[in-house]
Amino acid sequence: MTPDTTDPAARPRVTLARLAALMLRIGATGFGLGMVGMLQQEVVTRRSWLTQQDFADGIALANLLPGPTAFDVAVYVGHRLRGWWGATVSLLALLAPSFLIMIGLSMTYLRYGEAPKLHGLFAGINAAVAALVLSVAYRIGIASVKGARQAALLVVAFGALLLHANLVALVLACGVAGALWLTPRPDGSS
Amino acid sequence: MTNLVRLFLVFAKIGALVFGGGIAMIPFIQREVVQHYGWLTERQFVDAIALGQITPGPIMISATFIGYKVAGLAGAAVATLGIFLPSFLMTAVAAGQMVRLRGNPRVAGFIRGVLPAVVAMLVVAAASIAKPIIGDWRLALLSLAALALLVRLRVDAVYVVIGAGLAGLLMFR
Repeated sequence: MTPDTTDPAARPRVTLARLAALMLRIGATGFGLGMVGMLQQEVVTRRSWLTQQDFADGIALANLLPGPTAFDVAVYVGHRLRGWWGATVSLLALLAPSFLIMIGLSMTYLRYGEAPKLHGLFAGINAAVAALVLSVAYRIGIASVKGARQAALLVVAFGALLLHANLVALVLACGVAGALWLTPRPDGSS
Repeated sequence: MTNLVRLFLVFAKIGALVFGGGIAMIPFIQREVVQHYGWLTERQFVDAIALGQITPGPIMISATFIGYKVAGLAGAAVATLGIFLPSFLMTAVAAGQMVRLRGNPRVAGFIRGVLPAVVAMLVVAAASIAKPIIGDWRLALLSLAALALLVRLRVDAVYVVIGAGLAGLLMFR
């Protein structure tokens, strides 16, 4: 059980405006998982809005739930500080900068993206994106495919994909298999 | 069903299934947006991922590009809201239930089961994304170099994507 940081008397009340300002800044300057580190530094180290334990709980939660880790952590921070209003402010402020930048990039891309002069640019990017996706598969695989049962699931998943299985069904079936056969033992080992 | 409603539902479904980080959206996007609905070509899909990577914020912001391409500004807003809403709702609801949720072995087991499937899906997606570059030894080499930078040297993906784009420009002048 975490120390009770929800006790309003024990914690300074963070205004929604300050929360929004922080999330806007992180959304405008952070990339991917790097935002988790930025959030931790600002929310725990510099401003003491949450304890380290409370923040770590947020990361653990993000790993259990769908969605990008940094986004989930930001929503968690907002909710811990100011409930649903805080969570909503985190959602909107974190995404607003990237949303606007992406609109600008989309307009530019749709106008000039198919220009023959830029063929090389996008061919190079294609090479990098293939490598990026494979590197993430590698990272998740190393970190989370452990033991014979998970290896078996990996093989089954590959087989199902070769047969063009429905992806939603595949993910849910593997999840249910995990909930039945991959539950952690009470002593904490796997 | 109007395009906007369909956009929202497709992206909300994907948003509810992205386990293991934002990149895990890619197999779903490819299956739904490219192969099923034909909203993007394979090339635009790869470029959408790259745009999401070089834009600050979560990579799932690629959804904004796809929505914009399909239905303009309203489409961008609907697709973005759709893909982020499920994790927003689940995280906010769970924030108060943290202790119970983390201690639940079924939840932990579910994720342990899902991640191998995510790995398989990403490998298959990477192979499909790599198709256009395999025929060209320079691009294949560039891809291997990018992989080495990402995995061995842990270079930030933003720089790898931008660097590879510039290298491509120089190769094909």
